Amino acid sequence: MEDVEESEFVASEHDKLVHAISKLDKTQFITEPTRSEPTNLNSEFNLIKTKPKLDLTNVVKVLEDTSHHVQISKKLRKSQDNKQVLAKPLEKPQAERIKRATGYEQAKEKVGRWDPVVARSRAVDFVSFPLKRVSNKMQPTHEFLSKFELKSNLEMELEEIDPPNVPVEEDEEEKVYPMTYEEMLEHRQHSAKLRAQQSYKAAKAKRQSKIKSKKYHRILKKERLKLQLKEFEELQKKDPEEALKKLEALEKARALERHTLRHKNTGKWAKSKLVRAKYDKETRQELAEQLAVSRGLTKKTQANDSTDEENDESEKMPDITLSQDPMNPWMMKRSDNSNVDAEFDFGYKKYVQGKTNKKDDSDTDDELTQHTYGDKGSKSLDMLLLGNSINRISQEDSDDETEETTKIQRETTKTQIPKAKNGDKNKPQSPNKPKSTKQNDEPTIIEHISKKSKPVKRKNEVNNTISSKKTKTAVATSSWSVEPINVLPETKKAKRDVSEAFEVLEKNIANKVASKINKLKKDIKNLERVTKKSKKIENKQEERDNLEYLKLKKQKVKPVIDEELIETAANAPEDVEVSNKPLCDIVKIAQSDVPVQENVDANIDPTRFIQAKPKYLNSIVPEGEGGHDLLDDDDEQVVPKVNIEEVFEEDDVVDSFRQEKEDEINKDKIEDIDLSLPGWGSWGGKGVKAPKKKKNRFISKPAPKFPRRDENKGDIIIKEFKDPKLAVHKVTNVPFPFKSVKDYEASIRVPLGNTFITEKAHKKLIKPSVFTKAGAIIEAMDEDELLDKKNQTFGNEKLMKLLGQK
Amino acid sequence: MKPKAMKADSIKPKLKENLMIQKPKEKKKRYFEIDANNANDASEKTGSQKEEVYNVKFNKRLMFQLKHKQKKQEEYANAQRNEPVPNKPVKNRKKKYPGKAPVNPYKLEQLSRGEGVGKGVRHPLHAHKLKKKEKIYNYAQEQTARAEILLTEEQGYVEVEDDGKTTEITQDLIRDSVDITAATKIFDLNMDFGPYRMKYTRNGRHLLLGGKKGHLAAFDWVTKKLHCEINVMESIHDVSWLHVETMMAVAQKEWLYIYDNNGIEIHCVKRMDKILRMEFLPYHFLLAGVNEFGFMSWLDVSIGEIVGHYNNHLGRTSVMTQNPYNGTLCIGNSQGVVSLWSPTVKDPLAKILCHKSPLTAIAVDDRGMYMATSGVDRSLKIYDIRNLDGPVHYYKLRCAPVDLTFSQKDMLAVGLDDVLEVYNNCCTKTTVKPYMRHRMGKNICNFKFCPYEDVLGIGTTKGFTSIIIPGSGEPNFDALESNPFQTKKQRKEAEVKALLEKIPPELITLNPFEVAEVDVPTMKEQMEAKKKLLYVRPKKVDLTPRRKNKGKTNIARKKIIKEASRKKYIEEAIEVQKALETPVQPTKPKISYGVLDRFVSNPKKPKNKNKK
Repeated sequence: MEDVEESEFVASEHDKLVHAISKLDKTQFITEPTRSEPTNLNSEFNLIKTKPKLDLTNVVKVLEDTSHHVQISKKLRKSQDNKQVLAKPLEKPQAERIKRATGYEQAKEKVGRWDPVVARSRAVDFVSFPLKRVSNKMQPTHEFLSKFELKSNLEMELEEIDPPNVPVEEDEEEKVYPMTYEEMLEHRQHSAKLRAQQSYKAAKAKRQSKIKSKKYHRILKKERLKLQLKEFEELQKKDPEEALKKLEALEKARALERHTLRHKNTGKWAKSKLVRAKYDKETRQELAEQLAVSRGLTKKTQANDSTDEENDESEKMPDITLSQDPMNPWMMKRSDNSNVDAEFDFGYKKYVQGKTNKKDDSDTDDELTQHTYGDKGSKSLDMLLLGNSINRISQEDSDDETEETTKIQRETTKTQIPKAKNGDKNKPQSPNKPKSTKQNDEPTIIEHISKKSKPVKRKNEVNNTISSKKTKTAVATSSWSVEPINVLPETKKAKRDVSEAFEVLEKNIANKVASKINKLKKDIKNLERVTKKSKKIENKQEERDNLEYLKLKKQKVKPVIDEELIETAANAPEDVEVSNKPLCDIVKIAQSDVPVQENVDANIDPTRFIQAKPKYLNSIVPEGEGGHDLLDDDDEQVVPKVNIEEVFEEDDVVDSFRQEKEDEINKDKIEDIDLSLPGWGSWGGKGVKAPKKKKNRFISKPAPKFPRRDENKGDIIIKEFKDPKLAVHKVTNVPFPFKSVKDYEASIRVPLGNTFITEKAHKKLIKPSVFTKAGAIIEAMDEDELLDKKNQTFGNEKLMKLLGQK
Repeated sequence: MKPKAMKADSIKPKLKENLMIQKPKEKKKRYFEIDANNANDASEKTGSQKEEVYNVKFNKRLMFQLKHKQKKQEEYANAQRNEPVPNKPVKNRKKKYPGKAPVNPYKLEQLSRGEGVGKGVRHPLHAHKLKKKEKIYNYAQEQTARAEILLTEEQGYVEVEDDGKTTEITQDLIRDSVDITAATKIFDLNMDFGPYRMKYTRNGRHLLLGGKKGHLAAFDWVTKKLHCEINVMESIHDVSWLHVETMMAVAQKEWLYIYDNNGIEIHCVKRMDKILRMEFLPYHFLLAGVNEFGFMSWLDVSIGEIVGHYNNHLGRTSVMTQNPYNGTLCIGNSQGVVSLWSPTVKDPLAKILCHKSPLTAIAVDDRGMYMATSGVDRSLKIYDIRNLDGPVHYYKLRCAPVDLTFSQKDMLAVGLDDVLEVYNNCCTKTTVKPYMRHRMGKNICNFKFCPYEDVLGIGTTKGFTSIIIPGSGEPNFDALESNPFQTKKQRKEAEVKALLEKIPPELITLNPFEVAEVDVPTMKEQMEAKKKLLYVRPKKVDLTPRRKNKGKTNIARKKIIKEASRKKYIEEAIEVQKALETPVQPTKPKISYGVLDRFVSNPKKPKNKNKK
């Protein structure tokens, strides 16, 4: 029992010990499974490989005790410690690849040493061979030593007199800088950063402002609205009063937008309707109504606005010519290249202005005519219309006088192109009078009136100009104006009139002016009378409105110009004079109301003559000519009284030359390519113009050519052609390193010959790039070249890299 | 270095009886600078004394260049005054040998060949090499500027008292006051063989005279040594030296003859018949002539071939001259048109309508800058022939000139029947008075200034006259170019060199640098053709040419000036309006309904009635 107990105790003790010891070893082994009961089957999972490995420590332990074997045991242990397992050898191709790679690296390094040498020798101005220049002359010892000799007496003395220039180092005061270096750097960085940010923002803003996408803008707007709403909510909490105001503002903005009718057919409603409109008649109608409403609204506003604006403009804008300084060569008008564009601008402006004025005046005139002569026709509409037309004609008659003056005025302008004479025009119109009275059809009458309206307007314009001349309130002057001109077959007569007008001009002008003034006075009286008869005016207003209504189609805002515009130096010869005078004088004249004498010469077309003013030289008159004329050689210019030479001058020389130039220009012009088939899809034949659509589609215009060299040069023709004989000598492509014509041409700009540049520079420029010493053996480069300082310091990395790649 | 021979001759007749040294140096005025007097006048008129300032936008590079230039100029000016450079530290002040003298920046700019190669070349090696080349070009430019110091001779001149006039100085007076050798240059030859035509050689040493009645004489006019004198027994219409003084061409009644300096007939060129006028183009070795029927012919004297022969369809005209700048011929006709011709193109290169009457004479200056023309209408015009623009100046004379000639220093001689007048500065400025005047008892036929001498030779009806015009000739000569003291050996050497440098006749164009330009249109065509090829990537080439089109006038600048004047005028107008004080009726402030304004009825404005 005791035994058993003891044995049991021992066993438990032993187990404990074993467990403790096994715990010492941290590694967890899969414990061998113990079998408690016998089975036939062995689980395959329980099979464990036992290590057959010999643990050397166990062996050593045996030896440990003996002092004799301590050494051996230590050695053994050591060897146990740094045991290494050899790696498996690589596969052959892999191994070889690695070998190659390392070999390449090495070779690259080895060859790379030559990079600077190669690069330098290629970049240098010239290379001379053989590279090694060792003087084979032996130097004797005494000669070599003689270089270290002391200075001679003379030299020493000389040095005393003139001491060698020793650079005197002066202590420079330490300057006080406002910032340290670091600070400066920081500051600079900071400012650079700021600048960069600024530029980014600017770029962003610019980019965003250029975005045209509607969608984008819509989104943007929505976002903005959202933001505003948010703000508003915040405000509501803080300051309800402010919030209310803001709400109002927001509401107003929205209302405004709704009001602009911008969404007339882009809104949700409209879009949905649009979809349906294709099939549904009613919706279509609805849409049309909506559009009509919007159009009507916008149209009305436009009309109002435009007239207002134009009126304003006409009041504000002073019409001004360029003051032409005769001495300034830049400002001088040249024959052909006269300041065309600027003048055209002016002409155009003036024209527009004239149009607006005309419109105003015609309105007022209409009123006037109605006021003055309205008594005759005020019963019915038909009668009224008739009466109106009659009135106009009668007014024209009464205006004849003034027209006479205008005619003269125009004639003095002496333009080449025949002009419409208002006076002449009257005659063919007058027979219309009975006709129109006979006819009672409304439409024809209207037509008649509308036809007539134009000349009437023109006359009124003329009247206006005259009246303005009289009152002289406007300071604006211009030597150029644009006038619409009716080309009538009565040109010949007009020409004759011109010559007559010159004769009568002087006499008539005063009378005309006087009569004109009287007329004006009458008009003013009429006006006064009109104000009294206010009731009548109202009636007339109605009538006028009717008329207006009937005319509506013709009264489009868009200017319809169906007549040729011809720029003339016409319109107010006094303007020409005025432009040369100081403004104060003009004002004086204007205030004194004196009619300005018209300058006939001013109206001669300046482009027809060679313009430069001659300078009279104080030359002598030879004895053969005009007797013995002693010159007193004064500083004054001698201006001959009679120009006999002008008799010999031929104007047709100039004309023919200009014709020649024009021909030359036209010769080079490429004509439009017309692919249209006349009569295809529209009427064809003589006098039928192709519709615009057709023109755009079938007539292709050639690319614009380079401007001619003689374009702005007046009476000079420079022929532009390619000389094939010269072309042979010219280069037709840009050689290799160059990518632009400019650079290539720049590279050959300097002549190399010694007659053009100095000998020294010439020699430098023609220096050959390779020198070889005659008779010397040129050896290959060896590694000594690598040690050459020039090669070592060569620092053009870019070049080395490029040449290294090759 | 170019060998500089002794001073050719540039006389400085300082006239002792009225010696007064006061050279009023006039500043060159440019058009945008305001003349003090005129400005005052203008301001009196306008009442505003503000100077007009035109803003020109500067880019960074331009600013840098300007600054650099200014700095250089300052340095140069300081060096001239022997003052230290203020910008440089004190150390340099004590430097004993400050190195090379600074170059005059103005001179440098004058010699500049224009912009160099830009950054278009990307290839590092070639970029590097081109950079180096640029440096040498700059060096060449600088060297040339430095070589100016070798031009030691100065231009001759005449000084008179304040109230004196240069025209009062007669040839006798000059002869009395100059040294003996110079005095021998004033001489007269009386000969009986009709109106004489004359020409100097290019170095100005030899003179050729041809009388209408067949008298032909060649001699060294300085030493008065006669080479030959013959009578060709035919009428002589024109004479001309060839490239050397051993050969001369004579346009006789029927054909053109070439004689040597002994008067021996070498050639008879029958293809050039009935020549009226001749010109020799020395760099092209071309003898150009125009004949009675308007046929023009260019004879290459180096190979004896006619390189151009066609009719100009201008009719008979004897007004012809050459433009030394580009070798073109200027022919004036009876319509007053001057046309420029080259041998290979059968149309005129350009035409200028100069006068409205027949032309009497044309002259082009040596640099090819100006062309002077005169017509029967007694007028004299100066054109900018290089830019083909003008007239730059327009003068009226009191009599139609017979002939015109420019000297090397741009003096213009005008022959009026029996009086000869010389104008200086008539191209760059407007002159009124002649510089010199010489009256002769006989009618003038033609005249030429002698190169490198202050001498004017005049062929007259009764012989030849040589007079001195101080300051007319170029005082310094380049012996490699034309040497008045040429020896026989030098002449032979020069002939060979000149032949080697002969310019082919095809290169006679309006722009002599055209050959140095890329033929861009052809290049474009070729590129277009290449683009059509499949699988070939077209080259990318920037086609903008280096030279800007000279024909274009600077419209931008004109516009600026115009704009300025316009503004001025508007200001004036506003002022005047204020002065007028038209009382503006105070308009009532409108009641605004905001957006609803448009619905407010618009009553008729009473404005229109006021107007009436």
